[in-house]
Amino acid sequence: MTTLPTSTSGSLWRQRRGLILAYLLVAPPLLLMVLLIFVPAIQSIARTLTTDTTGEAGLSFSRYIAFFQDPISVSNLVFTFQVVFVTLLVIFIVCFPLAIYLRFAQGRIAGAVQILVLFPLFVPGIILCYALIRFLGTRGTLETVLSIFGFMDYSTPYLKPSAIIIGLVWESIPFTVLVLTAGLRQISDSLIESARDVGANDLTIFRRIILPLITRPVLIAFSLNFLGIFGAYTVPYLLGPAAPQMMGVFMQQTFGQYRRPDEAETQAVITFLICSVVGLLYVRTVASQRIQQEDAE
Amino acid sequence: MTTIQPAAPLPGMSFWQGTRRSFTTMVRKNGFGLIALVILALVILGPLYSVVLWAFAERWRYPSLIPNEFGLKFWEQTFSRADILEALPFSIVLALTVTALSAVICLPASYAFARMRFRGRQALLLSFLATNAFPRFGLYVSIAVIFFRLNLVGTVPGVIMIQLVNTLLLMIWIPTAAFQGVDRSLEEAALDVGASPLRVFIQITLPMVMPALAAALLLTFVNTFYEAQGALIVGLPRVVTMPVLMYSLINSQLVVQYGAIVSVVLWLPSLLLLLMAQRLLRGGYLTAGFGV
Repeated sequence: MTTLPTSTSGSLWRQRRGLILAYLLVAPPLLLMVLLIFVPAIQSIARTLTTDTTGEAGLSFSRYIAFFQDPISVSNLVFTFQVVFVTLLVIFIVCFPLAIYLRFAQGRIAGAVQILVLFPLFVPGIILCYALIRFLGTRGTLETVLSIFGFMDYSTPYLKPSAIIIGLVWESIPFTVLVLTAGLRQISDSLIESARDVGANDLTIFRRIILPLITRPVLIAFSLNFLGIFGAYTVPYLLGPAAPQMMGVFMQQTFGQYRRPDEAETQAVITFLICSVVGLLYVRTVASQRIQQEDAE
Repeated sequence: MTTIQPAAPLPGMSFWQGTRRSFTTMVRKNGFGLIALVILALVILGPLYSVVLWAFAERWRYPSLIPNEFGLKFWEQTFSRADILEALPFSIVLALTVTALSAVICLPASYAFARMRFRGRQALLLSFLATNAFPRFGLYVSIAVIFFRLNLVGTVPGVIMIQLVNTLLLMIWIPTAAFQGVDRSLEEAALDVGASPLRVFIQITLPMVMPALAAALLLTFVNTFYEAQGALIVGLPRVVTMPVLMYSLINSQLVVQYGAIVSVVLWLPSLLLLLMAQRLLRGGYLTAGFGV
């Protein structure tokens, strides 16, 4: 190869300069994310495996063994799972009908339902907790209303597991309905009608048309709600019982109150490992949706 | 999947049968919408009813449905408390600082993601989903443990950093989508008639992405203003934001009204968002923070 014409090498240089500039521009947020998410997470995992409960170095599972031998820790973990399971179940039972309704219904009532469904998005968690205490608590608004109707045996869910579930469901309604409705909107009426024209029955239509199209929204709603509930703090701390605790409350107590960062770190890593499958599911689902959208454009 | 059934369908008619109209009439006949509306109104608005009335109550004895005496006496008391007077302005300044820093860090990157072609662009853009892929409080504990060793616990920079993590996804994805949506032919036409690139950016590109940028900034500010968990674990005992103060106001419960009044005051920024809900929803900004 002989000498390149100067204009080409100039544009090559310009191209490379553009590339460097692009990387420089995207570097700061990436760096911040690496430093504040990946480094802490990886370091926590490494530290919990390479130091034992006495702080001595060397590959050791003793911190995890200590966690799983402690009945309080185990009961908190089991409790967290129970809350996650029940809350997710209630979320889908509440949100699926609402999403289907909002997808197909029109008119004033549907508009009002949509406003109410979105409303919790504009109520910060901490205010919600306070509001729920005043509403559901002993001698709260709900008890007052019930007593007016002659119902006197009200037993408050406040400081019981059910209050946590109520609070968490309340918070996740808008996001879940929004995601499900968006998925349902991809299903056009004509698609269903034409399937019916060629003789498909209800079950076939649901299985072959509706289900594939809402799989992604359901997976996104499931995974983000799972992570959100597993990593919750405010609602279980303010509304839930003193024992058993959800992992978020347990970790804060270990770190903030008892000042045992090592134990808190072990608890955090255990939540990471449990949630890692769901976290990956979330990233994969959103990524595949994004890539498909970009290809379509 | 039996949960998909909103209500018992009419005999011989499945709920997704036929056109939109047939479904709507069915829904109307079943009254599903009306029932949902009533239940939602009770469940969603009920708790807020309690708080707002408590904020303006001077005396509220059980079992009265409304306060026995209305008044603003407790507003004066609330806003003469030293902790509240200190935390409120601090929280506002903190949220503004975090939002501004987030914009400085993220907006140039979002421009690059939207306009420049480089290897790994898509993967790097998607990598920001990681901010959502962890159980939040576990991640905070992990960060706090590092900050603890670096002596960043109880400091303002520590709180700023932990709050910045939450802003990244929103502040990158919304503006990136906006920059991608700009019609390039307008910019090229302006360049053709001799406008400088800077002028094109300011006079043509910027106005077109402005609504999205404003939405991203506003959502970031409000989210940060209400962020309590990161601030709690990294900020205490020396840095106390307004939402963190709420925890102690709720737990001590000496005077019900304090918590109620602070709730109402704290809620104002969210109310602003609520007024813009339609526009935010149409722009797809409301779910952007979740990566969808």
